[in-house]
Amino acid sequence: MSELWEVLVRHFPEFRSGFLVTVQLVLVSFAIALGVGVFVGALRIAPVRWLRLVGGLYVEFFRNMPLLVLLFIAYAGLRRAGVEIGPWVAGTMSLGLYTAAYVAETVRSGVFAVGKGQIEAGLSLGFPYRQVLSQLVLPQAVRTVIPPLGSLVIAMIKNSAIIGAALALADDLLKQARVINSETFQYNEVFFWAAVGYLLLTVSVTFGVRTLERRLVVRR
Amino acid sequence: MDYLFDPANWEWLFSGNNFRFLLRGFWINIQIALVAMALSLAFGLLLALLRLSTHRVVSVATGIWVDVWRNLPLIFIILYLALAIPEPWRNAYEAAVPSWFPSAFQSPFFLAAVAALTLYNSAVIAEIMRAGIVSLERGQGEAAASLGLRYWQSMRLVVLPQGLRRMVPATVSQLITLMKDTTLVSILGIQEVMRHARIVTATSGNPFIGGGVDAPLLQVFLTVGLMFVAVNLTLSRLSRRLELRERRVTGVEVEQVAGVEDQLALAQPE
Repeated sequence: MSELWEVLVRHFPEFRSGFLVTVQLVLVSFAIALGVGVFVGALRIAPVRWLRLVGGLYVEFFRNMPLLVLLFIAYAGLRRAGVEIGPWVAGTMSLGLYTAAYVAETVRSGVFAVGKGQIEAGLSLGFPYRQVLSQLVLPQAVRTVIPPLGSLVIAMIKNSAIIGAALALADDLLKQARVINSETFQYNEVFFWAAVGYLLLTVSVTFGVRTLERRLVVRR
Repeated sequence: MDYLFDPANWEWLFSGNNFRFLLRGFWINIQIALVAMALSLAFGLLLALLRLSTHRVVSVATGIWVDVWRNLPLIFIILYLALAIPEPWRNAYEAAVPSWFPSAFQSPFFLAAVAALTLYNSAVIAEIMRAGIVSLERGQGEAAASLGLRYWQSMRLVVLPQGLRRMVPATVSQLITLMKDTTLVSILGIQEVMRHARIVTATSGNPFIGGGVDAPLLQVFLTVGLMFVAVNLTLSRLSRRLELRERRVTGVEVEQVAGVEDQLALAQPE
């Protein structure tokens, strides 16, 4: 038991910096995923056929592709092709673009969940289209979208570990744990604390989303 | 873009047996996914039943087990088990595995890889199955009980067939995620498609061991990715069709499971 604490105390700086790098990776990637995902989601419901097709191609390509393959393409592949891309950019872009496909599907389903009838009702009452979107569709869509987005953040936290472990693109929590382990060989203790770090993140997101959901729920 | 579509950069595909070699690697991934999926389904069902147990201690302990493993990164579990499975076990596995098994299955780390895939996915699938069972109206279980069925009888004859069928689409979409995740075992040096791809990029340009045609890394990995897209797209079409049918038959929305990457239940009818 004492060894467990000893490992944490002795290597706290490494653990902490790894934890913070993981948080940063997730935050940056999520910003990319949200931006690109909302845009692609909008393409998916656009009234123009070829825009929907482009959106659909994006979603199917990125959703069915292993993240590890994307990381290889984004980093090693592009570098060989002569594109100077940094490890951090390659990592966050891959994770961001990958998750954006799921975000796009979430956005699309959120808008669909509102129902055509309501939109038609809003329009027939004489509200302009933009007002229908901003005051009728958006507030309801946001509520349906929050739980699945929370799930995506959790998936992102877990997927972010691939960035540091497979191609060493970032010194995140798992990477730091492996470095500490290569010095101490106390893998049980080291991986225990890394697990605590990951669970701290995933469990707090779970509770955060649950609270947010409860606060935003509409009682009908 | 020019680089991407330049025919000279795609010549490797038809040189020697580069493409066949990639396909052979991909077939290993499919096999690993099938083995891990079979194990995950079995253990997932067991965990779901334990989680729903009327013994409080059993259900709470199983709940903690499931929540811990499904909230950890899979690659973390893979790397941990590679260290934690004792060497004698690894050697015993290596000695016991039949020689006609694919070479990837002969790796001493294969045990750790499959155990990690199973540990993670059985936890996710347990949660999917539990959601399916819980989503059944309580009346179903009560009706079965009032007809004189015992707990296990009502589980086996009434609750499970309906609850599990409801979760088939979500399970198929977890199979897609599992299929993608099999690439992660390459970190343990297991010879599957990612390793094969690196071998192709390293050797293809060499006139002695390869065809003498350079295989650019970008194009090779893009080809690998498209193999996954092809298989997973087929699977996702299948799960979507199953889901739409399920919704038509039972008239209920398929349950969502928090924390699962691919929220299949989101897909709305066009």
